Amino acid sequence: MSRPSKPPPAQAESIPPGAYPVFSNAVAMRLLKAVRDPEVHARAARIMGDSTEELRGVVLGYIDRVEAAAQSGNFAGIYDQAHEIRGLAGNAGLTATARIANGLCRYLDALGRAKRDPEHSVVRLHLDAIARAAHAEDEATRLGDAVAGELEQLVDKKLAEINETQTT
Amino acid sequence: MSGAAFEQLRALVVEDNVHMRTLLRSLLVALGIREVLEAGSGEEAFAILRARLPDLVLTDLSMKPMDGIEFTRTVRLSDDSPNPYVPILMVTGHTERHRVEAARDAGVTEFLAKPITVQNLFLRVEEIVERPRPYVRCSGYFGPDRRRRDDEAYRGPWRRQDDFEKRLEIR
Repeated sequence: MSRPSKPPPAQAESIPPGAYPVFSNAVAMRLLKAVRDPEVHARAARIMGDSTEELRGVVLGYIDRVEAAAQSGNFAGIYDQAHEIRGLAGNAGLTATARIANGLCRYLDALGRAKRDPEHSVVRLHLDAIARAAHAEDEATRLGDAVAGELEQLVDKKLAEINETQTT
Repeated sequence: MSGAAFEQLRALVVEDNVHMRTLLRSLLVALGIREVLEAGSGEEAFAILRARLPDLVLTDLSMKPMDGIEFTRTVRLSDDSPNPYVPILMVTGHTERHRVEAARDAGVTEFLAKPITVQNLFLRVEEIVERPRPYVRCSGYFGPDRRRRDDEAYRGPWRRQDDFEKRLEIR
């Protein structure tokens, strides 16, 4: 489709910055100075670092909850708790745990959209891996990342199978 | 927004997880924003938005009863909205494409993927402040321009007056 050679009927109105309220120059300058200030970055990094241990404890609490959802066969509940884990684990220094939880969420989301039941074995593999990884002292450098990679391949394969059956 | 002075700048963090909410709040305070309001759901956030008129909103996607997508849509489209142009930064762990597209189509300004990093958060704030995008109003959408680049490969649909004007400039 080429661009129109004459004006289209006005279907979309574009409103430039300034025609709607934006940050004043003074405020914008102060904010830009702050986001580029190494001292502000260092202060923010300390805040992130200080929160790591607390967030790790929170993630472990969600692991108990996701297991409880699994025991009752509540896949929506598993998704909700796994989603919380993937959102927090990375900031708790649990990068492999976050990757595994993300894979489980991708899997459950795709199955739900395809209106198909998840395979219990796939869910169980992820839940066991999440629990093991989150409790490991150095979860990313030991087996965690390798397991996350293998499980991501498994999810990719399962999602490809779903796509295949939907398109045939 | 925001003839207000920097000292009067006000941000709103909408996040049902209190730990993540506290972290985001602390990072905004580290930036120098003195007043950071907090809400645990979209409904609560919209009430605060109406009462306190924040200049910047950070919101999670998954919340109950009103999630971040519905909240954004309400801010952009509701007759009750005090500022449909307020920048909305969606902070989300969702990586599923359909959810991200739904949030974009509700009118979010920027996305920040979890896990959050200082670098990425500050880059998004910088983008919002330094390069505010035009807003687009058309049938079925009101919000920041979703065409982020002038994509030569774009093949339409051509719905805007300036699509025609750009064509004339090229000639």
